[in-house]
Amino acid sequence: MNSAIDPAVDPITLEVVCESLIAVVREMRASIIRASYSPVIYEMDDFSCALFNAKAEMVAQSNDHPGHVMPMPWSVRCAMEDFENDIHPGDIILLNDSYRGGTHLNDVTLLYPVFAGDRLVMLPAVRSHWADVGGATPGSYSGLSTNIYQEGLRMPPIKLYERGQPNKAVMRLIEANMRLPEDRKGDLNAMLGAVRAAEQRLHKLFGKYGLDAVLECLAINLDRSETRMRSRIGTLPAGTYVYEDYLEYYDEGRFDPVLMRLALTIAGDGVTADFAGSNPQVPGVVNSSLAVVGAGVFVALKSTLDPGGAVNQGAFRPITLKAPGASIVDVRADAPAGAHGEVRKRAVSVMLGCLAQVAPDLVSGDLCGTSFPSSMGGRDVRRNRSYVYYEAPAGGNGGFAEADGSSVYVNVDFGNIRSIHNAESLETDMPIVVEKSALRVDSGGAGRMRGGLGLHREIRLAGDEAVYSVLSDRAVVPPYGVGGGASAAPVSVSIRANGQDVPLLTPGKATGVRLRRDSVFILQSAGGGGYGDPLVREPARVAADVSAGYVSEACARSAYGVAFDRDGGVDQTGTTSLRAQLASAIVRLPIIADESPPYEGIKGRHRVLRMRNATAQRLGVRSNQLIELLGRHPAPLRAWVKLDESAPADAFPMDAFGRQVLGVVAGDTVRLRGIDTPIAPGERRA
Amino acid sequence: MRMVGVDVGGTFTDAVYYDDQSGELAWAKAPSTPHAPAGGVLAAMDRNGVDLATTDRFVHGVTIGTNAILERRGAPVWVITTKGFRDTLEIARTNRTVLYDIKTLKPASLVPRQRVVEVDERVLADGSVLRALDPDEIHRVAARLRAEPPAALTVCFLHSYLNGAHEEAAVKILRAALPDWFVCHSAEILPEMREYERFNTTVLNAYIGPLTARYLGELSRLMRERGYRGAVHLMASSGGIETAERAARFPVHTVLSGPAGGVAAAIHLGGLVGVRNLITYDMGGTSTDVCLIEDLNVPLTSEQFIDGLPVRTPQIEINSVGAGGGSIAWVDTGKILKVGPHSAGAVPGPACYGKGGVEPTVTDANLAIGRLASSLKLAGTVALDESLAQQAVQRIVAVFYSLDIPRAAEGIIRIAVARMVSAIKEISVSKGYDPRDFALVAFGGAGPMHAAFIAEELEIAHVLVPLRPGNFCAFGALISDVRHDHLRTHRATLIEGELKGVEAAFVQIEAAARSAMIEEGLPAGDVSLQRSAGMRYVGQSWDLIVRLPEQTPDATALAALFHAAHERRYGYRAADPIEIVSLRVTAIGRVAKPKLGEWTITSPLAATGSRQVWFAGIRCNVPVYARDELPRDARIAGPAIIEEMGAVTIVPPDWRVEVGSVGELHLRRSVQ
Repeated sequence: MNSAIDPAVDPITLEVVCESLIAVVREMRASIIRASYSPVIYEMDDFSCALFNAKAEMVAQSNDHPGHVMPMPWSVRCAMEDFENDIHPGDIILLNDSYRGGTHLNDVTLLYPVFAGDRLVMLPAVRSHWADVGGATPGSYSGLSTNIYQEGLRMPPIKLYERGQPNKAVMRLIEANMRLPEDRKGDLNAMLGAVRAAEQRLHKLFGKYGLDAVLECLAINLDRSETRMRSRIGTLPAGTYVYEDYLEYYDEGRFDPVLMRLALTIAGDGVTADFAGSNPQVPGVVNSSLAVVGAGVFVALKSTLDPGGAVNQGAFRPITLKAPGASIVDVRADAPAGAHGEVRKRAVSVMLGCLAQVAPDLVSGDLCGTSFPSSMGGRDVRRNRSYVYYEAPAGGNGGFAEADGSSVYVNVDFGNIRSIHNAESLETDMPIVVEKSALRVDSGGAGRMRGGLGLHREIRLAGDEAVYSVLSDRAVVPPYGVGGGASAAPVSVSIRANGQDVPLLTPGKATGVRLRRDSVFILQSAGGGGYGDPLVREPARVAADVSAGYVSEACARSAYGVAFDRDGGVDQTGTTSLRAQLASAIVRLPIIADESPPYEGIKGRHRVLRMRNATAQRLGVRSNQLIELLGRHPAPLRAWVKLDESAPADAFPMDAFGRQVLGVVAGDTVRLRGIDTPIAPGERRA
Repeated sequence: MRMVGVDVGGTFTDAVYYDDQSGELAWAKAPSTPHAPAGGVLAAMDRNGVDLATTDRFVHGVTIGTNAILERRGAPVWVITTKGFRDTLEIARTNRTVLYDIKTLKPASLVPRQRVVEVDERVLADGSVLRALDPDEIHRVAARLRAEPPAALTVCFLHSYLNGAHEEAAVKILRAALPDWFVCHSAEILPEMREYERFNTTVLNAYIGPLTARYLGELSRLMRERGYRGAVHLMASSGGIETAERAARFPVHTVLSGPAGGVAAAIHLGGLVGVRNLITYDMGGTSTDVCLIEDLNVPLTSEQFIDGLPVRTPQIEINSVGAGGGSIAWVDTGKILKVGPHSAGAVPGPACYGKGGVEPTVTDANLAIGRLASSLKLAGTVALDESLAQQAVQRIVAVFYSLDIPRAAEGIIRIAVARMVSAIKEISVSKGYDPRDFALVAFGGAGPMHAAFIAEELEIAHVLVPLRPGNFCAFGALISDVRHDHLRTHRATLIEGELKGVEAAFVQIEAAARSAMIEEGLPAGDVSLQRSAGMRYVGQSWDLIVRLPEQTPDATALAALFHAAHERRYGYRAADPIEIVSLRVTAIGRVAKPKLGEWTITSPLAATGSRQVWFAGIRCNVPVYARDELPRDARIAGPAIIEEMGAVTIVPPDWRVEVGSVGELHLRRSVQ
C-alpha cells in the first residue's frame, strides 16, 4: 500500500475493532470446548469457528484448523445462493455437503445469520467434526468406499431453525440416520451455544462503535490483507510453473494411481492455480471439492510466501482457481469424498512443487502428505462398554534451507491438532497395550537438510475382538525431496498375529479388518522429504544423526556417503572417497521430445516412462517400478517404468508437460532414481 | 518479628521489609545482577537497611530456574524409561501452535536422544506388573553413567502414578551409585496419568535442579555470613511458599512463580478492603501478567507451558503477554501499527532513557504526551528525556500522515491497551466471566498508568491501585503461607464400598501431609488441610478438581458436588455415572505476615504541581499529586496524576479517585 493512502477510519479504532472480532471467535471456541462431550473436540481440537460478512467473505478466525476454515466461505456462499432473499432473523442453517464447500461428511457446519434491523450483516459459523454421521462403518471412516452414500448422511444447506422456530422434522431425520443420536444432539447444542454467544458480542460491538464503522473496519482489514498478500506475490517472477503428483486409489483391489496436475501462473500480483489435466473422479475416497483444494493452494502460498499476518478472505483474493468438473479436485455426485484431507495435502504437494521452481529458499521438501486417520472399534467385555480408538499419527515435515524438518509434527495445513493420545490414557480407557511409540529410523528423506522422521507405533489388542479401519495416502508414492533431496519413507500399516507381520492388502486403506486378542497393529507414519543434495550435508551433522539414532550407519553410508572410523567418528578420507564414488555412479540420460500420451491406468492415470530393457538394467530398475527424474527444477518428476523395445536407446522420451516439470528441453540430460514401493500399478495383493 | 521479601525481576530487584513491632513497612529497588544473582538480592536488602542478624523471616521470589529453561542452560539430564518409550519427550503431542508458517519447528526436547536409556520393565494401566524390573539392569546403567560427569537423572516409567515400585527401586540403586547426581523420578514429581506431561515435568525438575541447589546454597551461605538464622522460603508457582530445602528438591514448583506473589498480594488486599472479585493486571517493562480471581480464591491450573514445554504442577492460572512499558511500536508491511513483541529491554531501554534507543516504546509514548514527566526518576535512578521520546514517536508520524505526535503516542498506548484487553478477555469472557463483575487491581511499574484505559474498554467500573505498586510482588511473597500439594491417583466409582477406600486413602495422605509440614518446622496448630478430588463423568477424558469436606460424603452428596462444579465450569450437567480419578490434599502452614497499616495522613489535599497531558486528542492542564501526601478519604476528580516511587497513576477525565483505608487508590468511572 502506498503510504499516501490513509484509511478513512483511524488506525487505532481499526486495530481495536479487528482485535475484538478475533476475540469473538476465541469466545466461540471456548464455548464449544466447554460444552463438548466428544474427545475429538477436547482432546484433538478438531473444530473451527469463523465470522463471515454478508458477502460470504471470511472476516475473522483465530488459530483455527486451516483445513476447516479455508473451504468455509464456499459453504456460506452456497447457503446464501440457495436461500437468496429468504434468510430471516432467527434462521439457523446446517450443512455438510462435500460437494458444496464441505470437507468430509463428518465436518458439520452451522451458520447463524446476524441481522441489524432487517439487514443481514454477519454470519458466525462453526465447523465441527461429528464422531459419526451414519454410513457404512462406525465413525463414518471407510478407506474403501465406492460412493458417498457409504460415507454418511449428506446435508445440503438446510434450515434447522426458521424465524426462531426449530424445524423438528429435520432434527428427527438427522437423529434417525446417525449412530448415537444423543451425542449428535450434544454436538449440535455446543455449536448453537457458540453462535448465539457470537451474536450477542457482535451486537455489543455494533452498539459501541456503530455498525457502519465496524463494517468499514472489516472492509479495510480485508483490503490490507489482500494488499499484503499481493505485495508478496508481486516479488515473484511472472510465469507459469507446473507440477504433478498422485493420490492412491484401488480399483477392485488393484493399485491405480490417480493424477493431480497443477499449472500455477504468477502474473503481476495475482496467481491462478489451474488443475487442468487432473484425473476424472474415481469411485474411491480420494476425490474432493475445489473448496478443499483451494484450501491447500492457499495454505501452501501463505505459509511459504508470507508467514504471519492475519488470515481472512482478503488474503484469498489474489488467488484464482480453475479445475475440470467431475474430477478428483471438483467432485460431483455420487463419488465418495472421505479423503478430503489427503486431497488437500496433495494440493499442498503440487503447490510446493511449483513454488520450488520460483522460490526455492521459501519451500521445504514435501510434507508427510497424509493425515493417516486410523480407527479401531470393539466392545470392552470387562467393562461392558463399546469403545472407539482413533488417532491420526503425524509424520515428518520437509527439510528447508535453514533446518531439518521436524519429526512427528502435524503439517502446516492441519492446525493445532494433537494427533495422538498418551499411551497411559489409551490403555486406561480401552483394552489395548501400546507396545512401542518411537521415532521411525531412516524415515526422513535424506538431504542437505534432512526431512523429519515419522512415528512407529505398535498397539496390541488386549480385548477379545475388534475391527480396524484406516484411510491414508502416501502409502505407496512417498513424499518427495527437493533440490536433490531424497524421498521419505511412505506410510505403512501392518497387522502382527502369531508373530508374523502382515501388511494390508491395499496399502494405506482398509475398512473393518478383523483383529483378535493379542493382534498388534503397527502404524508407521511417513517422513518428510529432504532438501538439497545429501552428499553435501555436513558430515558432522550426519554423525550427530547417527549418534542420536535418527539415521542408521548403513543409511549414512548409502544416502549421505559418510564413512565412520572404529570409534564412531567421521572418517574424513573415507567420506571424501565414498562421496566421490556415489557421485560418479549417477547416470544421466538425455531427454527426447515425444508428445505421445504419457499416462496409463484403469480409472486413474499414471505417468509411464518408456525404456528398453537394456536401459532399465543399466539403471538398475525393473518393469513397473516407481522412479523419479531429476532435472533442473528442484522437485522431481515421478513415473513408472514401462519396458518397451521401441523406446529410444539410452534416452528418455518426454512430453512437453513433463519437460516443463523438469525444467529441461530436448537434449538436456536428467538423472533417474528408483524408488521401492509395496505395490505397483495394476497389481493386486492376494 | 522482622521479615523481608525480595522479588528478582528482569530489570529490578524489589525488596519489602516489615517490622511487626513498629509496624514499619519499607520498600526498595535495586538493579538486578543476572551474573551474580545472590549478590543482587543482598544489595536490595542493603539498600533497605535490612539487618539480617535481627531478621526472622526471609521470603524470596526467584526466576533462576525459569530463566535457565528459557535460555536453555540447565544441566544435562539423563532419562531412564520403559522399553518402547524412548522417544516420548521428542514425539510430544504433535500439535503445531504457530499456523501458516512452513518453517516453524517443534519445540526441542530438553533431553537429547542419546541420553535416554530404555530398561525392560512394564506396568499396566491397572497397576499390575507385566514385566518385572531387573535390578541388575539398573546397576549396569549406573555403571555406565559413572563414566559421565555428574549431572541430573530422572527415572520415568509408564503407569508409575499407580504403581511406583519400579521407579522407587531404580532410584534407590541409582542414588546410591551416583551420589553426586541430582536424581528424581516421575511419580514423586507428579503422580498423575499422561506420560508425556509427567515425564516432561520431571525432566524440567532435573534440568534446573543442580542450578537451583547451587544458587540456594550460595544465597544461604552469604546470608549466614551476615548473621541470618531464620528459614529461607521461596515463592512457588502455586501462590504458596516452600522452604529452600523443599524447593531444592522440587525446583519445578518455582518455574512459574514470578507473577505469583502479585496475585497473592492482590487477594490479600481484596480481603482487607472487601472487594472479592478481582482481575490482576501486572505490567512491567517487558511483559504483562493478568489473572482472574473469583471470590478471593487462588485460581489454580496445572495446564501451563514454559517455552512450549508442559509443566503440570499446580500453578496460579496466569495469562502472560509479551508487552510492557519497554515494548516497541512499529509499522508492519501491511501498514499496520503494532506494539511488541520486541522490547527495548533494560539495554538500551526506551528512547527516553537516553542510552541509545531510538524506537518508540510505550514508555516513550506516555512521556511524549505528559502522562509521565521528565522530572520523575524511575526507581530513583533513571532520568527520562522528553525530547528523545518525541523524536522516537515522530518515526510513527512519518508513516501515517493523518497522525501528529500526540495522536500517534495515544495510538501506541491504545494498541498496547488493546493487547492487555485481549489478554484479560481470554481469562474472563472466553471462560464465561463478565469482566464488569470484577475490579481491576493494577500494579507493576507500568500498570497504574494504563489501568483506567483498560477498565474503560472492558467496562470495568472500579480500579484498585495498591501502595508501591512496583514492589507489590515482593510484598506478596511476605504474606503467602507455606503450601504443599499432595496428589495420588486413585480411581473409584461413587458406591459406598469404594468410598470407604477413598476415605482411607485420604487419611493416609493427610498424615503424610501433616508430618511433612511439621518436619519443616511448622507447629501442628498452624497447619490446615484441604481435600479435593479429580472427578469426571465416565467416558470423559479430563477431570475436574472438586473441593471436598473434611470427611468423605456419601455417594449422593458427592455426586451433587460434582454436578454443581461441572455445571459452573462447563455450563451443563449430564446423567452419566461419575468417577473419582485422583485424590488431592493441600496443606497450608500459616506464617506471620506483615500488616498494611491504616492510612493516617490527614494533611489537607494539595497538588504538588500540574502539567499538560493529552487525553483523546485534547490537551488538558492536569494537577499532579504526591501519593505519600494524599490524605485518607481524599477524593479527586480526573483528570489527575498521582506520583510515587516507581509508579504513576493516571486518572483520566470522567474518572475519579479516592484514597482508601490502607492507602490504596480506588479509581471509579463517573456515571455517564
